[in-house]
Amino acid sequence: MRSEKTIVLALLIQLFVAAFSSFLVVGLVSLYDPGSTQGTYSVEIAVSGNASDDLEAVVETGEAREAVVYPSRDDALSAFTNREVDAVLHGTVGPDGRIQVEAVAPEGDFRTTLIVVQVKETLSDLERERRDELAHRLDQRPLDPPPRPDANPYFGFTYTILVPMLAFLPAFISGSIASDSIAEELERGTLELLRVAPLSVPQIIDGKAIAMISIAPAQAALWLLFLELNGTAIANPLYVLLLVASLTAVLVVIGAALAIAIGVRREAQLLYSLLALGLFGASMLLPESPPNLVAKLAIGSPTSVTYLSVGALAVLGVVGYWAIRRFVATTPID
Amino acid sequence: MRAGQTLRIARWETLRSVGSVDRRTTIALVAVLVFVAGLVPVLLTTTPTPGAGLYRVGVDASSPYAAVIQEDPELQAVDPDLPLEPGSMDVRVVGTAVYVPDTEKGRAAAGALREAIITHNDAVMTQEDDQAAAFPVSVTLRYLPQAAPDIAGVGTGTDGTGPDTGAAGDGSDTGAAGTGGDGDGESGQPSAEPDGGTGAAGGPIPSAPIGGILGTTQTGTPSAIAPPFPLRSLLLAFLFLLPFNVVIQAYGSSVIAERINRRGEPLLVSPATRADIVIGKALPYFLGSIAITTVIAIGIGGGLLSIAAVAPIAALFMAATFVAGMLARSYKELTFVTVTISVTLTGYAFIPAVFAEVHPIAAISPLTLVVNDLQSVAVSPGEFVFATLPVTLAAAVLFSLGIGIYREEDMFTQRPLPQKAIDALAAPLRSRLHVGLWTALFIPFVLVLELFAVATLYILPVSLSIPVLLGVVALIEEVAKSVHVFAGFNRARFPRTVRTGLVLGVISGVGFFLAEKLLVITQLVGLPDLEIGQAAFAPEVLGVTPAVLLLAPLVLHTTTAAISAVGAQRSRIAYVMALGVASLVHLAYNLAVVMTLA
Repeated sequence: MRSEKTIVLALLIQLFVAAFSSFLVVGLVSLYDPGSTQGTYSVEIAVSGNASDDLEAVVETGEAREAVVYPSRDDALSAFTNREVDAVLHGTVGPDGRIQVEAVAPEGDFRTTLIVVQVKETLSDLERERRDELAHRLDQRPLDPPPRPDANPYFGFTYTILVPMLAFLPAFISGSIASDSIAEELERGTLELLRVAPLSVPQIIDGKAIAMISIAPAQAALWLLFLELNGTAIANPLYVLLLVASLTAVLVVIGAALAIAIGVRREAQLLYSLLALGLFGASMLLPESPPNLVAKLAIGSPTSVTYLSVGALAVLGVVGYWAIRRFVATTPID
Repeated sequence: MRAGQTLRIARWETLRSVGSVDRRTTIALVAVLVFVAGLVPVLLTTTPTPGAGLYRVGVDASSPYAAVIQEDPELQAVDPDLPLEPGSMDVRVVGTAVYVPDTEKGRAAAGALREAIITHNDAVMTQEDDQAAAFPVSVTLRYLPQAAPDIAGVGTGTDGTGPDTGAAGDGSDTGAAGTGGDGDGESGQPSAEPDGGTGAAGGPIPSAPIGGILGTTQTGTPSAIAPPFPLRSLLLAFLFLLPFNVVIQAYGSSVIAERINRRGEPLLVSPATRADIVIGKALPYFLGSIAITTVIAIGIGGGLLSIAAVAPIAALFMAATFVAGMLARSYKELTFVTVTISVTLTGYAFIPAVFAEVHPIAAISPLTLVVNDLQSVAVSPGEFVFATLPVTLAAAVLFSLGIGIYREEDMFTQRPLPQKAIDALAAPLRSRLHVGLWTALFIPFVLVLELFAVATLYILPVSLSIPVLLGVVALIEEVAKSVHVFAGFNRARFPRTVRTGLVLGVISGVGFFLAEKLLVITQLVGLPDLEIGQAAFAPEVLGVTPAVLLLAPLVLHTTTAAISAVGAQRSRIAYVMALGVASLVHLAYNLAVVMTLA
């Protein structure tokens, strides 16, 4: 192990990224669902203006917030500046019955997101109430939404963003490394030496490609295992790994083909990155895109289209691999 | 280094990278670029959701919610007669009653259903004639600074603390009359008329296209409010630093390509100096990074300050890649090292900026400057220097180290990484005084690493973080004082005698002591206001007499450096042990200082 420092470095990088990932998850989840960072923190909201009665009533209906009424806007703002309250809602009822609300939240603060989420919920509830009161002026009645469930805010994010990301990143990297490996043999001229060995060129490609294709599902399996241990249930893990393996095969084939065709690492990498990006983008237009496939399989809601898509991708991977073997066997590489 | 030669090499590099691509590849590149460019508008119009069809809702066609469920992409309508279990259905709707099983997925499904109904309501309301009744609440959201919180454990600053940081305390009003853009994401929202001039300072601020995520003023209905992303610095880090990953891939390829098959030999033989060659080759990529940064900065509403803040990071990325390219033995190795560099530097950029409330820590990261620029908050020159100077100097030192091994023995051989690193450290040591000079040049790295340690350990409780930090600081400084001495002995630059060890140790210690005064710039941003900042950077400054102030650190540095150097002249094991001893001595000193003054 000591002499193989590259592997050690690779493992350390993954550990580093894993350590970071919990940090990243919190950050990225907050982007996805900003209210998720709530705890037992209670937001104090200063209320003022001639709509303050309505505002106060609505604020008090929420568990994570409290209202403090101030007689004037300036009083409320100075209380805010002195950190006595966390936010200000100054509401004025207009002649048309519409309430104009001036909201103030702290700038650049970690709490800001929590506070703004509470402000948003308060005002949404107020909007719903007012719509009820003004129902006589409306042609259609809005539907009554069911009560807010005590849902885990990380849930959707984990399955739609995190799991696909962890599943696909090894696939992209495998393709990149396969391209690197072959391009370097060609640039250094060491392919000649390899061909002198009792191996045919397809067998050389086999060796490189199979190593890369098998590593990616192994990494993905490790990630899925970590997630399971962490309490995130992954349904249909074998199908997910089959999907990852197929995708890796396709990407490795593309990477290898580019390296063989171009023969220079820099251009091959550039073209590979762009092509992988483009194909990934194009795949999002499918009825069930690869991230969606992973999400549906992992969360346990696969449809028949899901299984068909996974099968199609597997076939594509096999066909692609066979094609590149034939290409390498029949075309001379200089 | 001559400008003419450097520019000529830069021009060759650009032409070569563009011109060396053969026709077939160029056509392929153009084709793929066109394909990708054509995809973008298609994706923007269809907006595929990765979470499509995740939750299965059993609903009868007669339920008022049926239409909503059909419309919403996240929900899959299934036969209501199926059993309500994990394999077949997640939530059942009968009329307007919602049956939620006691599972995580069930609750998440119920939440998604609620969101879908609310969105549906808003869409229906836009069709109404009486818009005042349909959207009876209109809100303008602005962000204002509050008074700084009482940070636990800080007394009054003992010595003259630096100017109050601009990030919070200057009371500059960021909100302007409500011309902020609507939050993104909700389709079909009417843009409510802007709130009648809420008397804030200044004229209209151009609305950032990314809505409220970056914390700018927003106007609209409650549904349109986008809470700001709390880890704004993370978003900025991804935005600005992700393109650098692409640039350093290309640059790294270029660096290592010179080393394959002795391709770089003709340039080495030419009259161009090594610095000319290296800077010339790096210049096109650096200018490319700046161009990309400019485009991104303008795109999110930033200005010159943002570009000036991100440029040193670009330089550091490239410098680290250059050294990586000189040390790596293959493309694979280079890829791994490049990924490490990206992750580490991205982490350095965004972690400190997270602590927006505790301004001195946030000032470490250049991204805080960008955040300030976006909010049009004034930035003092001291803050700017503090954030960018260590990074710039670190980049310069890395380039110098790399240039030192830009020679035949190191470029065209397959020596293992540690050996090359030692080569790089030993190469500039042409005399004993150079040891002191290079110790001084390592100060920016020491500063960068210590700042990183402060930012990372800040979250621990003070009783734990201070000792750990003192230990880490001691180790970092000892390594900085002695690692090149070890390299010099190892490469037989100096005779292996105890006397030489002592002399080199003293020189190194003096160099460190003198350059350490650079750390005074931390005063510029009030970092010593924080207990942990005090511990890291100025334990000596706390109310001691000037003589002790000067003498004690000098004695410390020379002693510990001498200990390490004496170990270094014997063997690697001896060096490691001596380094440990020196670090412990340094730690003891730090603890003693902190205890005495506490």
